[in-house]
Amino acid sequence: MDENLAQGLVHGLRAAGVDFITYLPETRLSQILPLLQNDSSFQLVPVGSEAEGVSIAAGAALGGKVVASYMEGTGVYVSCYNILTVGVRYGVPMLLLVSYVGSFEDHRNSFLYVQRGIKLIPQLEALDVQYQVIRNGERLEGKVKGAVRMMNALKQPVALLFTEDFTL
Amino acid sequence: MIRYECFEWLAPLMTDQLVVTSLSGQRVEWGHLSKREADLNLGSMGNALAVGIGLALALPQRKVFVFESDGSVLLSLFNLPTLANLNPPNMAVFVFDNQAYSGTRISYPSATAGKTDLAAVAKGSGIEHSVTVSALADFKKEATAALHDGGLRFVVCKIEESVGHRNITRSDVDLLETKYRFVRYLERTEGKPIFQGRG
Repeated sequence: MDENLAQGLVHGLRAAGVDFITYLPETRLSQILPLLQNDSSFQLVPVGSEAEGVSIAAGAALGGKVVASYMEGTGVYVSCYNILTVGVRYGVPMLLLVSYVGSFEDHRNSFLYVQRGIKLIPQLEALDVQYQVIRNGERLEGKVKGAVRMMNALKQPVALLFTEDFTL
Repeated sequence: MIRYECFEWLAPLMTDQLVVTSLSGQRVEWGHLSKREADLNLGSMGNALAVGIGLALALPQRKVFVFESDGSVLLSLFNLPTLANLNPPNMAVFVFDNQAYSGTRISYPSATAGKTDLAAVAKGSGIEHSVTVSALADFKKEATAALHDGGLRFVVCKIEESVGHRNITRSDVDLLETKYRFVRYLERTEGKPIFQGRG
């Protein structure tokens, strides 16, 4: 991912008030991690599974943090139980930052990723998680702010799916 | 050792500690013995430990107790290395290990009825204070230390399988009500808004 896009995404998260992020590094958006680590605005929590990333973020949200959980698209499958049983059922606002691997606009799409990609949106819709696909840096800060407003208004997990320019 | 006896002893000693419980009879028993706003009875397997971590990290000035079961911890074993490396000093985990999936009504044995030692798994994951207790007096020692001392504790409590919770009238407080009660309590005691956004 281009350095400017990474900086724009991190800036957007900071501007939206996100201050707690769980993460499992992956292949498309990982350039944001060094930027997040060097920014004292964020409390970062490395996890071993996206499942616990969602549940830890939920606990922090109930404790007063504005939370995000960063994962690859495959992480939505891994964490769908946690998204449902804690995030959706309990009504916990959290932002899912998801790299949309295996999507039409994933520049690194291959047989390795495509099956996960084409079923990702049906998976989110089955969980009743609202989402938006982000393809480039246009109005990125505004889109991140809008997603955070949405999750707080709904008191539910909300997902941003990053593809196209974010997958270069 | 019987879980209800542990809770019966501990519940009156709790003050402003936050408690997260998982599923199983412990949710019913703790909910029956403790009516505190600081209790978050999650009602799901495999989530309490991680939610407790999130609370402990978000509120480092508060003590967080997590009540887990063997089946619930086994469902999310990846929590243990994460907990070890984060090492929140304000967190105590009590795993009530009856060595069975009691809710199945056929007492189907869990892995801890076989070769698995959860305290050893936790120790191997890097949690330094990871112990097993099987007598009420030892539970009281660990719980007393958790109430008064700092440092991450992981205590596997070997208990007899008991079904007394089936005779307890279930609470009619649903999960959303539990959440709001807990969050409003934190907003009041921490002096800060938690849920953002106003109508």
